Amino acid sequence: MPIVFAFPRLAGPFLALALAVPVAALSPGAVSAQEPEFFERPYAPGQWTFGRRLDESQLRYCVDERDPDWKVAGAIADAVAQGLLLAPQRYVVKSKIIMEDITKVYAVMLEHCDIHMGFKLIPGGYSNWATLTRAYYETEYVFVTADPDIQSLADLAPARPIGATMGTSAHIRLVSYLTALPREDRWPTYPMGTNDLALQSLLNGTVDVALVWAPHLWAKQREEPAYADLHVIDPNPLPPTTMGVGALLLADETFVRTAVDEAIAALSEDGTIAGILEEYGFPATALP
Amino acid sequence: MSLRRLLGLSVSVIPFVMLAAGLNAPSQAAGVDDLTPVTDEMLLNPPDGDWLMWRRTYNGWGYSPLDEINKDNVGDLKLAWAWAMTPGRTQETPLVHDGIIYVQNSDHTIQALDGASGDLIWEYQYELPDDAPVRGVRNKAIYGDNLIVATRDAHLLAIDTKTGQLVWDQQVANFAHGFGFSSGPIVANGVIVQGTTGCSRAQPGGCFFTGHDPNTGAELWRVNTIARGDTPEGNSWNGVPLEARHGASAWIAGSYDPDQNLIFAGVGQPYPWNAEISGLSPKSSDPNVTNDALYTNSTLAIDVSTGELEWYHQYLPNDSLDLDYVYERLLIDLPVDGEERKMVVTSGKIGIIEALDRTTGEWLWGVETVPQNVVLSIDQQTGEKTINPEVIPIIGQTTFNCPADPGGRAWQATAYSPRTQALYLPTVEFCSNTTVNVLDPGEIYTGGGRQTYSRVPVPDGDGNIGQVRAINLTDQSEMWMYRQRPAITSSTLPTGGGLVFVGSLDRKFMAFDDETGEMLWSSGKLSSSLESFPITYEADGKQYVAITANFASGLGRLASLTPEVKIPANDPITLYVFALPD
Repeated sequence: MPIVFAFPRLAGPFLALALAVPVAALSPGAVSAQEPEFFERPYAPGQWTFGRRLDESQLRYCVDERDPDWKVAGAIADAVAQGLLLAPQRYVVKSKIIMEDITKVYAVMLEHCDIHMGFKLIPGGYSNWATLTRAYYETEYVFVTADPDIQSLADLAPARPIGATMGTSAHIRLVSYLTALPREDRWPTYPMGTNDLALQSLLNGTVDVALVWAPHLWAKQREEPAYADLHVIDPNPLPPTTMGVGALLLADETFVRTAVDEAIAALSEDGTIAGILEEYGFPATALP
Repeated sequence: MSLRRLLGLSVSVIPFVMLAAGLNAPSQAAGVDDLTPVTDEMLLNPPDGDWLMWRRTYNGWGYSPLDEINKDNVGDLKLAWAWAMTPGRTQETPLVHDGIIYVQNSDHTIQALDGASGDLIWEYQYELPDDAPVRGVRNKAIYGDNLIVATRDAHLLAIDTKTGQLVWDQQVANFAHGFGFSSGPIVANGVIVQGTTGCSRAQPGGCFFTGHDPNTGAELWRVNTIARGDTPEGNSWNGVPLEARHGASAWIAGSYDPDQNLIFAGVGQPYPWNAEISGLSPKSSDPNVTNDALYTNSTLAIDVSTGELEWYHQYLPNDSLDLDYVYERLLIDLPVDGEERKMVVTSGKIGIIEALDRTTGEWLWGVETVPQNVVLSIDQQTGEKTINPEVIPIIGQTTFNCPADPGGRAWQATAYSPRTQALYLPTVEFCSNTTVNVLDPGEIYTGGGRQTYSRVPVPDGDGNIGQVRAINLTDQSEMWMYRQRPAITSSTLPTGGGLVFVGSLDRKFMAFDDETGEMLWSSGKLSSSLESFPITYEADGKQYVAITANFASGLGRLASLTPEVKIPANDPITLYVFALPD
């Protein structure tokens, strides 16, 4: 016989003895979480030592050399600074850590930069301490394979597995699509921890198709011959999953955000950003 | 290179504020030269005045027999001394041996203080790499002449308890891949046992427990927390290959049964939480494959000498709500249905206390505590749970589950008193509107969360988020419950004086009558919320009670439910030590 639990559980007689207080109006905010420690309110060692900076003739920006597009983003940030008649001050984040909690950006920004390039415009994807500029380019997640016979996702037989970079918008879209299919028509989909791991699983034959961030594939194919033969396939029957990329700011930097947004709009309008993307052969488009 | 600094006994303590008159005059610094080595026998039967391991004794009770401070005089308890620690975030458990108290700051400064006076004796600064997280570690161990310390960048250190000098430094895993330690080790039968955490993305294949030589730190054995191979356990990941299995962090220290030479330790849930994203749902049609995701949410019984996994019990297969059956394991011997049983007792975030026979792994009983709508029923023979399908997060929908992260109970440990045969639980009551969201705001930076929890009070609740619950383990009945609006945020500390100490989000340290739940004492408001592990110890023949005030990543997150409770934004950390007036 199972024990059957009741919900809601009835409050016991102990309540009368407890120090009950009236319920105040509550407005709990939506918060995000990850494992095993996560902080809705970021903390940086010595955070109170960072005061208002005095030199306002500079645009201090961060790029992270672990980002595949960091040189492209740096060129765009330089153009933004120039457009605002400010001197660009680049800080390149260098680290061996493969994945980091986003609150680490808080500490980096306190010390080094007004804007941090390279963040996806995900609705509801950020906590209250951060805000994003408008997108300076748009790119997409891509399905990739080494099999020359596969030109679109529709060519992939149902039993053949896909290695998807875990938890991306494209992965979630793929999973949602598969859920609607009969079991026998689904592709097994394995969550890979990073774009790198997804591509590695493709190279070592664990999966037949990898779902990765297009800039990551672009960087890999420029740097390592082993990735040269991989090709992007048509996502059909799925639509493309595109994503704007902008810069992250601390939420109270509203003036900077407005100025940078205006600069990005102007640089998109006059073709500057498109020119930078073309110069690097980068798989993205400037947004009108 | 690590920086070592040895400070003399004359170093003055950081000034502290006496909260009330009539306090202890600082006594003479304890003599570190007189420190005795911590032996195996001492760990088996710790001196009453010592606190030698995370939960004080191998059985994980978190109970101290000291009774100088008791029901009759606890009302006179005053601040004896305080020590400002490095600001930041920690979940500290001080250790005490021969009157010396050892603490680990969030920046990994390790300090030895005179337990009576609070005077600094020595400190050792471990230099974390610049890009390693600067946070504390829940616990340490002490063995022989060494303090055994775990670091956030996955090193184990041995530090001389008398001098603060580094004896050895052993890297266990590569922190660049996310591996790290948020809890420290226990030492059992001459082996250091350490659990690893941070196994969510960049390091597929899950986490592990390791055994180490206490003389050198050398690794003796390793137990992977994600099952592998062509076995029923290895085939429990729905056909997902090893390189796509994530999670199963071992982030809480275990307990030890010397009769069986077994460590009992918990393992966390699979990642990402959402089963559609993790590949654990929908279930495979292959009859040889399950989606239980072993050994997540399990107790592992590991031979401490060999590292052999003797048995396991999984409490919650395919957990998609981060309900984490990872916490402390209490080894308690009591009758069950008239028969004396050797139990291992634990609870996950869902707050259901469950007991196993620790000689066989047989499930014995379970009892619900906080309001929850996840488990509809439990099979009384096997412990198998029937999960409410309406609460399982689905992409594109919002589900309502009670409790949610950080749990009806979190890492704050429960404790058991042999005086009352009761388990004392710090709990919270709340629910959540939960939605699945994406993980990758940046290429490197994550934290958009696997799921978003919009936390709300329990429907038809009384507005009290925090509770201290006393559950009589002889019949699993509720002995008493204390309720208050702010969350209860520290572990519980029952003592031989008939008291249960506990701390709360609103910066109070309290003492309750262990039999009635009557509050007998409360401190003034301290420097921050109390999210740590209180201890009690003896120095110079006098009993002290210590707790670290700090904001941490546990139940402090429930501050959004009580916005009127304000805590300092700069995350001060202070060690407070209380005693009776002389």
